Amino acid sequence: MSSDTSTEGMDGTRRGFFATMALAFFGSVSALGFAYPLGMYLWPRERKVKGAGERSMKIPLSDVPIGEARFVRFLGKPAVVVRPNEQQVIALSPICPHLGCIVKWREKEKEFLCPCHGGRFDSKGIVLGGPPPFPLPPFSSSVEAEYIVIKEV
Amino acid sequence: MDIETLHLGPIKIKNKIAIRLFSALDDRLGVKEILDDEVFEKIVPAHLGFWSCFGGISFFLFISQVLTGMLLMVYYEPTIEEAHGTVAMIMNEVPFGWLIRGAHAWGSNLMLVTIMIHMVKIYVSGIYKPPRELNWVVGVTLFLLTLGLSFTGYLLPWTQLAYWATVVGTETPAALPYVGEYIRYAMRGGEEIGQVTLTRFFAIHVMLLPVITASVIGLHLIQIRRQGIAGPM
Ligand code: HEM
Ligand code: FES
Repeated sequence: MSSDTSTEGMDGTRRGFFATMALAFFGSVSALGFAYPLGMYLWPRERKVKGAGERSMKIPLSDVPIGEARFVRFLGKPAVVVRPNEQQVIALSPICPHLGCIVKWREKEKEFLCPCHGGRFDSKGIVLGGPPPFPLPPFSSSVEAEYIVIKEV
Repeated sequence: MDIETLHLGPIKIKNKIAIRLFSALDDRLGVKEILDDEVFEKIVPAHLGFWSCFGGISFFLFISQVLTGMLLMVYYEPTIEEAHGTVAMIMNEVPFGWLIRGAHAWGSNLMLVTIMIHMVKIYVSGIYKPPRELNWVVGVTLFLLTLGLSFTGYLLPWTQLAYWATVVGTETPAALPYVGEYIRYAMRGGEEIGQVTLTRFFAIHVMLLPVITASVIGLHLIQIRRQGIAGPM
């Protein structure tokens, strides 16, 4: 084996050393020249989703009959508005805190049920059973004139 | 391979690690033999020059089309609602999107130019003559496939230009006697140009034709290897 010192290139000569360094330099410059635009191109960008950026949302009261739930898109993510009885209007994130499935509203039981692993929540989002570790995150909701207004908390 | 210097054609490698890595591959796959025979010690006829390069350039452009095309597919959506918007997004918002689309659109035109130069060169120097007639036929097929790729790709941005070009391009074969109208119907996927047309053009453009073209390029290259490069004129 040749004396493999750091001032020698792949072929073990000084000339080879410079050739190797030049190759390494231009090689990495051109590799970067490809990698940088490619990475920038592929990196996901925020898509302008309808309703994103609006900090509050109005839903006509008549859209949510008593006992029923309505799913809407709020801040680019799903939200659910439910009226379990005459008095209450509740807005929650329907994204299950277990592993992220969208819970559904069961009218008869007045409960949310997660279809993925059977997590159960009451109309306020409190966990009644199953794997979810904590309640459905709430939005603030109020009734103004004939509209339900939901906001981030 | 237990050696001090690895010779790959004009390249001499003495670096221990490089030699070890190379030997590891060579012991298992016999890479050196292939590299020597096909690359480093391959004898290329002396009469090859500038005009002999255009087949290879066309091949390079095809590879580039495949790569840039796959990148365009990351953002492009083939629906009449989204097609134009996503192409505009690629051009105006996605970083380097203009570069990828530009390379693809320019590449498609350049590829036709280089193929035509390649064909003229083969024709003028009589290389198409026996025993290479079959490869001429395969070559013409490749030219037609490339035209097909350009034609189907052109509709995809769903602009006025794209739309009316496809109207014209599907109306032209309709002038053929008896079969013309059926051809137009099949190309459009119906009486009119709409979502169905865009869907089938997209499928043909990104899957059907690229896969067929790649295979036919394979046939082209295999024949060249079997027959060797033609001698000087
Ligand atoms: C696997 C190979 C390919 C894929 C996946 C692909 C994909 C695409 C996509 C998604 C578009 C729409 C975006 C745009 O218009 O800029 C497009 C456009 C286009 N493609 Fe391809 N393509 C491939 C190969 C080719 C080849 C080989 C050619 C021709 C030689 C070609 C010619 C075109 C043309 C002319 C356009 C319209 C360009 C424009 O107006 O900007 N494509 N291709
Ligand atoms: S994701 Fe809801 S219970 Fe598992």
